[in-house]
Amino acid sequence: MRPILLQGHERSITQIKYNREGDLLFSVAKDPVANAWYSVNGERLGTYNGHTGAVWCVDADWDTKNVLTGSADNSCRLWDCETGKQLALLETSSAVRTCGFDFSGNIIMFSTDKQMGYQCFLNYFDLRDPQQIEDNQPYLSVPCNESKITSAVWGPLGEFVIAGHENGEINQYSAKSGEILKAAKEHTKQINDIQTSVDLTMLISASKDCTAKMFDSTNLEHIKTFKTERPVNSAAISFSHVVMGGGQEAMEVTTTSTRIGKFEARFFHAAYEEEFGRVKGHFGPINCVAFHPDGKSYSSGGEDGYVRIHYFDPQYFDFELEA
Amino acid sequence: MQNTVNMAAESEFDEEEEPSFSDPEDFVADIDDEELLEDVLRERPLEADGIDLVVVVENVPQVGPELEFYIFSDKTINYDSVKNADGYKLDKQHTFRVNLFTDFDKYMNISDQWETPEKQPFKDFGNMRHWLEDPDCRDQYSVIYESGEQTAIFSNDPKEPILVEERACWTETYVRWSPKGTYLATFHQRGIALWGGEKFKQIQRFSHQGVSLIDFSPCERYVVTFSPLMDTKEDPQAIIIWDILTGQKKRGFHCESSAHWPIFKWSQDGKFFARMTQDTLSIYETPSMGLLDKKSLKISGIKDFSWSPGDNIITFWVPEDKDIPARVTLMQFPSRLEIRVRNLFNVVDCKLHWQRQGDYLCVKVDRTPRGTQGVVTNFEIFRMREKQVPVDVVEMKESIIAFAWEPNGSKFAVLHGESPRINASFYHVKSNGKIDLIKMFDKQQANSIFWSPQGQFMVLAGLRSMNGALAFVDTSDCTIMYIAEHYMASDVEWDPTGRYVVTSVSWWSHKVDNAYWLWTFQGRLLQKNNKDRFCQLLWRPCPPTLLSQEQIKAIKKDLKKYSKIFEQKDRLSQSKASKELVDKRRLMMEEYRRYKDSAIQLYNQQRELRLQLRGGVDTDELDSNVEDWEEETIEFFISEEIINLGDLE
Repeated sequence: MRPILLQGHERSITQIKYNREGDLLFSVAKDPVANAWYSVNGERLGTYNGHTGAVWCVDADWDTKNVLTGSADNSCRLWDCETGKQLALLETSSAVRTCGFDFSGNIIMFSTDKQMGYQCFLNYFDLRDPQQIEDNQPYLSVPCNESKITSAVWGPLGEFVIAGHENGEINQYSAKSGEILKAAKEHTKQINDIQTSVDLTMLISASKDCTAKMFDSTNLEHIKTFKTERPVNSAAISFSHVVMGGGQEAMEVTTTSTRIGKFEARFFHAAYEEEFGRVKGHFGPINCVAFHPDGKSYSSGGEDGYVRIHYFDPQYFDFELEA
Repeated sequence: MQNTVNMAAESEFDEEEEPSFSDPEDFVADIDDEELLEDVLRERPLEADGIDLVVVVENVPQVGPELEFYIFSDKTINYDSVKNADGYKLDKQHTFRVNLFTDFDKYMNISDQWETPEKQPFKDFGNMRHWLEDPDCRDQYSVIYESGEQTAIFSNDPKEPILVEERACWTETYVRWSPKGTYLATFHQRGIALWGGEKFKQIQRFSHQGVSLIDFSPCERYVVTFSPLMDTKEDPQAIIIWDILTGQKKRGFHCESSAHWPIFKWSQDGKFFARMTQDTLSIYETPSMGLLDKKSLKISGIKDFSWSPGDNIITFWVPEDKDIPARVTLMQFPSRLEIRVRNLFNVVDCKLHWQRQGDYLCVKVDRTPRGTQGVVTNFEIFRMREKQVPVDVVEMKESIIAFAWEPNGSKFAVLHGESPRINASFYHVKSNGKIDLIKMFDKQQANSIFWSPQGQFMVLAGLRSMNGALAFVDTSDCTIMYIAEHYMASDVEWDPTGRYVVTSVSWWSHKVDNAYWLWTFQGRLLQKNNKDRFCQLLWRPCPPTLLSQEQIKAIKKDLKKYSKIFEQKDRLSQSKASKELVDKRRLMMEEYRRYKDSAIQLYNQQRELRLQLRGGVDTDELDSNVEDWEEETIEFFISEEIINLGDLE
């Protein structure tokens, strides 16, 4: 595998995401700049400037027209992907932790942190109604009283949002009423990341409890578990493979920093739940992983501020576990 | 003091009849009993001073008083001989009755009312050696994890560990095995407990508030506990020696500090234990727990001592004293004969290293030669099995990091130098009087040496700050069989048979990646066992082999026959494992496919909805909209080659 190194951030990477067609890779970090890159060669398309704090999340709509980002500067911003122009600024009372476009690209959701006396909310805006943006009034705002949302994705048809919480729970929140449609209590510690398969039928959750779990998006049935010995920061799924990135508790980083370049992304066989490979290279814990929609490459963003794009060797595709 | 002698008298208890203490018929006492006894009672020896054996012999055939008091100060008299003499029939009319004087004291105080001794329920702990009967010869080990909240016993199988027993809060701090593996000791605020048998039942409990350290005698008859809490001059309780089988406290000792535990060092057969205090070496004997010869040895300046693991010999050293050079002495017990003395000059420090069988003693001597500033190290090698114990010297040019004798053999390994230039040297103590340097490996990442308990194989490890570098060495030809790494490993433990090595990262030294890994003696990694907050793994020791040398020779000769059987067994179990794995995978794949099929069904049903949501644009496949695609050719700069036109001609 020949990795392409993207150096566009000065602080640790918080999220990376491919657009639907995979030709673009978006990256955000603890610095205020959001970047868009061509995944084929790592050339930068441009930056989205405007945030004044760490950017926690990023998403692009299905047509790659708009880009959405959420930040610790208490705002969620909408951008024109091609020009980089800021189209909307939605101010919040606390940091925006996770955000995303629904399947149609018309509805956006984002969650805010439980901070400074404000509790966690899951907000829905319909982009077809400019009044909502102008008045900064979501058509639906769902409070999460118990455990704050740490990561969330849209369901397959825009009917609900699937959110992971600090206490390890995963809930489906209706996009119409805000009520919890389905719930799963499989993880024992905080959910660090949730991602869907390309066809949105499955989701994979990465947790501090050192496992990643696969669920059916529609009924939240728990299908598979992938175990490691370190907290999992991020997991992604592509066809029959799962990639996981992790590291350790942030406070432990200093004690193992003597290990140069040894933080690894791990690959598991989705059906057998067995690890079959690892890729080293990051100089610190891996915070986010993502598969290219065609499954022929993947990317990882690290605490070291680098994003690495890896194209798989032919052997990767021939690999078969004996069965 | 508890005496277990006079078995004859004790057996009389069972007959439900009060033993007869009446004088023989023709006995005439010419002294008042109480007056006489009172006298001697006052002189009754105290525990701390050792014991004069006062033996009372009755029925000595002679004219005159037939009750005789014999006071033996002969050192060779012991309890066994007293016991044996009792009941000795001189002739039809006269039977020796021999009792210890102290027993009279005991009998005097027996109440007239006969009380049937309470029958202790027989505690059946089962077969205490049960673990040795495993048909696949698996050894056991204890594991402490969840930062001490869970303790488990596993049986070591190369495929994966087999759980034998697991208990929450079995111990409050850590555990220890007894030297022959019979008992597992756990620590509690109130004392320690010993567990054993097939089901690890509690065998014995010893109450010692605040106990922090323990030590077993090699024979497993005694256990020594230390607590910093309880210690008064009147009632020394810092160190207590217990009899394991009876559970009784044998003796308490005062203790200044536990810095060099164990304070009491045991002889290899458990007959003696000794400790060193200022200018003094005190040797005690068992089972009396009294000072050997009733007095300690005065050794002015004594710095360190240790018992030979093979014989009842102590080695100790004293530093230079004005004109008298430093010296190392070998002394035999109980005779106190000095079998060897070695003078050493300009000594800074000495460390004593015995070879496992006591065949050799190495004294590492740090010296500052006259006229120089620096410190050099010599190894003084004492050949214990040769007449007059000859000593050879090996000079080392660099500072020593680690030293270790080969168990069962005559080699030793040394790590010397300074990071990053650390060297590993192997020496062979030959029977022809020479000590050869067999091999030296330079630039090693190692700070510790771990020999296999059977000898020949060893692991050089760079623990902790050296990031867990491992080298597996075969010292028969001094080759490195394998180099590996267990990142941040803090401990290395060989199993008692020398077949397996465990490397581990303990939560006590590193808070992440806590696990133990199992390797073969050749360095092949077999298992990685992650355990939440893993703390400690200890192999269960084995008692010494019951086979004679001839039997061992015979087995080695027929090894081919045995190894064939074992290999067959291994192959069967491996293919079984493969088959199990393959079956498991097949099931999982089927399950997964079934799920995927139902998910795809639903997906297909939702196609219309998807098209609607995206305004009729089909995005189900990445190439669903080929018509929308634009083909664009982009050129990338790949490489540059400069050709000098002049060269072309």
